[in-house]
Amino acid sequence: MAEVSFRQALNDTLREEMLRDENVFIMGEEIGNFEGSYKITAGLLKEFGPKRVVDTPIAENGFVGMAVGAAMLGLRPVVEIMTFNFIALAIDEILNHAAKIYYMFGGQTPVPMVIRTPGGGGQQLSATHSQNLEAWFAHIPGLQVVAPSTPSDAKGLLRTAIRNNNPVLFLEHLALYNHKGEVPEGDYTIPFGRAEVTKEGKDLTVISYSRKAAIAHEVASRLERENKLSVEVVDLRSLRPLDRETLVNSVKKTGRAIVFEEDWRSYGIGAEIVATVQEDAFDYLDAPIKRVASVEVPLPYSKPLELAALTGAPELEDAINALAPRRRRR
Amino acid sequence: MAEVNMPRLSDTMQEGTITRWFKQVGDEVKRGDVLAEVETDKANMEVESYDSGILEQVVVQEGETVPIGQVIAIIGSGMGTHKGGEPKVPVAKPAGQTPAVTPASHQGAAVGQLSAFAGILTQQNSVGTNGIFIKASPLARRMAEEHSIDLFQVKGTGPGGRIVRDDIEDFIEQRAISLAAVPQPLPQPVQPVGAAPGIPEVSTADADIVTLTSMQKTIACRLTESKQTVPHFYIGNEIDMTEVLKLRQELNVALTEEGIKISVNDLIIKACALALEKFSEVNGSYKDGQFVLHKRINIGIAVDIPSGLVVPVIRDANTKGLRVIACEARSLAAKAQTGKLTPAELDGGTFSISNLGMMDVTDFVAVINPPQAAILAVAATRKTFVPVDDQPVIREIMHVTLSADHRILYGATVARFLKEVKHLLQNPFLLLV
Repeated sequence: MAEVSFRQALNDTLREEMLRDENVFIMGEEIGNFEGSYKITAGLLKEFGPKRVVDTPIAENGFVGMAVGAAMLGLRPVVEIMTFNFIALAIDEILNHAAKIYYMFGGQTPVPMVIRTPGGGGQQLSATHSQNLEAWFAHIPGLQVVAPSTPSDAKGLLRTAIRNNNPVLFLEHLALYNHKGEVPEGDYTIPFGRAEVTKEGKDLTVISYSRKAAIAHEVASRLERENKLSVEVVDLRSLRPLDRETLVNSVKKTGRAIVFEEDWRSYGIGAEIVATVQEDAFDYLDAPIKRVASVEVPLPYSKPLELAALTGAPELEDAINALAPRRRRR
Repeated sequence: MAEVNMPRLSDTMQEGTITRWFKQVGDEVKRGDVLAEVETDKANMEVESYDSGILEQVVVQEGETVPIGQVIAIIGSGMGTHKGGEPKVPVAKPAGQTPAVTPASHQGAAVGQLSAFAGILTQQNSVGTNGIFIKASPLARRMAEEHSIDLFQVKGTGPGGRIVRDDIEDFIEQRAISLAAVPQPLPQPVQPVGAAPGIPEVSTADADIVTLTSMQKTIACRLTESKQTVPHFYIGNEIDMTEVLKLRQELNVALTEEGIKISVNDLIIKACALALEKFSEVNGSYKDGQFVLHKRINIGIAVDIPSGLVVPVIRDANTKGLRVIACEARSLAAKAQTGKLTPAELDGGTFSISNLGMMDVTDFVAVINPPQAAILAVAATRKTFVPVDDQPVIREIMHVTLSADHRILYGATVARFLKEVKHLLQNPFLLLV
């Protein structure tokens, strides 16, 4: 297996899918000549030309609407929204068009489009450029929402997203782009609605996704190396549809769980996970499920304040130590 | 006035049987209240009321079966209350307005789940078995059930004392250890020669089984605990009672008119109480690595009662005269026989006396009554030849044995204490001052 960065995995996948299917095209701000604000689309304009790599004006509602129309007519647009924060401008096209048309028009036409967009904080981009709004979209029936944490998952899930006939929000994370990881050879896909136990453990379960799943994996691996606690990590990967079975089975095994999320705590992804677990694993719970999420403030620009507001490895480790069963502590 | 009809509770239902009315005629009914339980071809379901008012009439009685749509009850203002009697409106009509229903079993489960939730979230709102709330995680509850563990016996170490999986696992481990430690009744060996020694199981064949009263249970428990945890040792002595019996006889003659009779035991109580003033450890308790030396001298007297044994207490016996001690002892013994002793009369003893003298006992040892440090076993007083100036003389000799807690008392202390008791009883005028 080759080791590639998250960024490279996305770039490779876009290219491969555009080669595989001529109906696949990409669209967004600064993705062509500038090769993308985060260089995900590097080299693609040169290779595929301006008909399939479309630089758009700064008008999210316009080009997301265009993508919906293109998808309805049989193309497979992959839209880049420069950061997750700008998606608010296109919310009507996503909520009321992309997610509804197949249903409202009696299944006459699917809307096979992908919106790729990076979210997350930690880059000192301040309150309006650092948000995690996935709960908005995971709430909407008719949309599918995925949020990979590794280059290999990014590749497998992006392939599935592009080949999928539903509108998909493909959530990236600014802080993951340089992460490297092993990526399998070949044309593999990862089905939606399938979480992954990225590390097995006995004492408690950390449920997470996107960058926080990567951090959870690091923390759990370190605790195991240090011979402290045996922490199981479940990477949701897919927020909608949600793989209830995997996370419930994990909690049934360990009896205790933490949801580790970068979004705000109230009404966040964690709230849904907690509700799901207590519905299906009530008799297996040995303690209330903890949520480790970001402080509920607009993210500050100042580095120390930003660090204080964002949740991270120290907060997760504190929660693990607080929740771990007494008999498992060494 | 509103009619309640037999609802259609399943697609295939043609008729339903009222198995139970939850409301009686005259009861107030609120919209949503469960009125009755109906047995259908599928399941037992509950019929809820669509209306509020007074249940005026029950048309279909428990056990009766009627087709769907038929009026089963009338709800109104209460003016038309009609207890029993002939149904006024037994008219079948199509199931139009079907009262809301919920499957009975489903609702039961929901209620159970609710209380389980309350059990986690609040300290006192949920009531477990025995009417006392136990805070335990759902997992701990399930494990306890699977392992037949009474949660009352488990100490919770989770947040706020919650019983969690750790505690159940501790309990299971400890139970396994204690079961391994207690010799298990072995199956009766076919050939007893060389068989491992085990306590044969009590055979219940040809036996009556008596269920213990709570007092008997307490006695079994307390005395087992005493013998297992208190290191007993025993010292005996013989006391010449000749002089004290003479004194007793004189006193009782003198007190006849007052109706007071002083017993040998009263004299022993007084002698012990005075001796205890000088030997504070004998009047003490061993507790958590400390000696607790009680300032008051409260003497428990063991009283035989039909279903067991009680030890009422004479308080401050060292400061009370024989007259008072005699009256109190008699009163306590009488109350013991009729089961009228109050907890206050049984609490707070610092030393005990068990007297089987009237039963012609030559000598015996008693089990310490924790947290006391000692108990005096008093046997019968017998005429005995004893050497006086190397000549055999008949004297009234009483054998006593003191059982002592070796954690607080040592042989010499106990010996000196008994010597003091003996000195007091052999010089009985000392009991009077």
